[in-house]
Amino acid sequence: MSNFAISAQHLARSFGETHALVDVSLDIPAGSVCALLGRNGAGKTTTVRILTTLLDPDDGHAQVAGFDIASQADRVRERIGVTGQTATMDELLTGHENLEIIGRFSHLGAAVSRQRADELLQQFDLVDAGRMLVKKYSGGMRRRLDLAASLIANPEVLFLDEPTTGLDPVARSEMWVAIRNLVARGTTVLLTTQYLDEADQLADTIVVVDRGLVVAEGTPEQLKASIGRPSVVVTLVDADPAALLKVRTALGADAVIRGRSVSAPAADGLESLAKVVTLLEELGVPIHEVGLEHPSLDEVFSAVTHRIGDHSPVAPAEIPA
Amino acid sequence: MSAIATPRQSSVQRGLIDAYNATRRYLIRGKRQPDIIFGSVLFPVIFVVLFGYVFGSSISVPGGNYHSYLMSGLFAQSTLFASSQVAVAVATDMNEGVIDRFKTLPIARSSILIGRSISTIVLGLPALGVMILCALAVGWRPENGIFDAILGFLLIEVFAFALSWLGILAGLIAKSSQAADVISSIPVFLLGFVSNVFVDTSKMPVWLRVFADWNPVSAVVAAGRNLFGNTIGPPPAGVWSLEHPEITTIGLALIIIVVFIPICVRRYSRTSR
Ligand SMILES: Nc1ncnc2c1ncn2[C@@H]1O[C@H](COP(=O)(O)OP(=O)(O)O)[C@@H](O)[C@H]1O
Ligand SMILES: [Mg+2]
Repeated sequence: MSNFAISAQHLARSFGETHALVDVSLDIPAGSVCALLGRNGAGKTTTVRILTTLLDPDDGHAQVAGFDIASQADRVRERIGVTGQTATMDELLTGHENLEIIGRFSHLGAAVSRQRADELLQQFDLVDAGRMLVKKYSGGMRRRLDLAASLIANPEVLFLDEPTTGLDPVARSEMWVAIRNLVARGTTVLLTTQYLDEADQLADTIVVVDRGLVVAEGTPEQLKASIGRPSVVVTLVDADPAALLKVRTALGADAVIRGRSVSAPAADGLESLAKVVTLLEELGVPIHEVGLEHPSLDEVFSAVTHRIGDHSPVAPAEIPA
Repeated sequence: MSAIATPRQSSVQRGLIDAYNATRRYLIRGKRQPDIIFGSVLFPVIFVVLFGYVFGSSISVPGGNYHSYLMSGLFAQSTLFASSQVAVAVATDMNEGVIDRFKTLPIARSSILIGRSISTIVLGLPALGVMILCALAVGWRPENGIFDAILGFLLIEVFAFALSWLGILAGLIAKSSQAADVISSIPVFLLGFVSNVFVDTSKMPVWLRVFADWNPVSAVVAAGRNLFGNTIGPPPAGVWSLEHPEITTIGLALIIIVVFIPICVRRYSRTSR
């Protein structure tokens, strides 16, 4: 058994002519949070469905919580929690009944299931709602109940497929808090998202998928670093054109003026920053702020997916005549 | 962090517990849909009264009461309608996310479907009870005594259980609940009406009579009539299934159960994979 809570090798899956997954490999250490980041149709849900034993891959292997998803599916099912992209709670049951059923199906027994249902309703701020039929729930309440349901048996590995898509900002931040709490307790989480800020906020590692392929992966910082160097940004007290020009000239040929700031590539990171500070002292221009700026994940995302997206189909290997 | 320790149970025990829990879930759901139960009770009442008086006024059964003759047929027919409703319900289920969640849980693959079929029988009992009361009110009597009558109803319920698996299969194959309705309604109407439910088959044109006589539903109806003491005249000559309707009914039910439960479970596990 490896130290990876989730390990997938070259997963592929097609639906007729649609190649939903072409080649996806993942290694997610136990206790960490991995975000699968990608646009609609990138293959996120397909990946999650394969890893949660709902779908068979055409090709490739995967182990979840140390067990093979194909040959030891029941062992995997005993150890995972899944919150799918679509609601899975029964509208005709109350929140409490829904949780209790999942507990019973997880073989916790009736008494423990009821007790866990009570605990989780409390944890997710649904105590009053617990006695209500789910059909009366708001979207945010449903998502939280769904998340609660996937935690009933204290899973080792948790899968969350777009847990905040379609939620309003308040419900979204409530969901973030709930997810952070889980992570603090050591659960391994694989979540999918279309939102960069969400991945950045919640994840230790980000895997960017596009058209069924992994196009980039790493920590949020590594991803930013791989895509572009940081830049030094000098902000003046006011937008005095003469002063701005003076600073730009001092910072070199690649410097650009934006509003009352001047930014220039900082090839050496902090060292470059120190040099700029020395330079500015000599110039004697009134400075408001100096700092290093990393490229945003948005830029990372559009850069990597753009590169792939603009790719014309890979030319077939040349065959000697 | 480790998973909550679960009590050690054998896989058979677990399977039974899973099936029990699934049944329980469907029963709770059933309780929350009083309109469906109301409908299922109303329909047979209308049938007993309507068909009884509409046909009864123009059809005379020699030496008997048409209502007595009709009741076994209506009891059997209601099992057909129930199986069609199961098809629609299963198709609806399969298009909901909750089934996906169940599939990620460590439960026996058969349990959800077993829960569906058993709960169908249980939720159908109020309707059966009301139907029996109506039948008694319009003059039907189990002439062979209470013991045979109970046997008759048991036979019909075993058949209903078997039929529910055909309904489940139709629901699993159908892509939508509307499709399930169509797929299941056609055989239900053919088998339910081209039979001995309403009339004696002997006056039907030959091609229709052959179908109606060998129609398994006719055997169920005949078995019911025998056990309720409502049989009039001898069975059509040379039709084995009507000469031995009880054996035919039980045999058929067992064959359906043995063959179709595994097919349904397999189909269920494979859907959306
Ligand atoms: N059951 C299915 N049948 C046909 N096509 C599918 C099915 N599931 C997914 N796809 C297709 O596979 C691609 C990837 O889908 P999905 O994994 O759901 O993407 P994501 O979750 O990233 O939005 C999409 O083009 C989608 O239309
Ligand atoms: Mg998706």
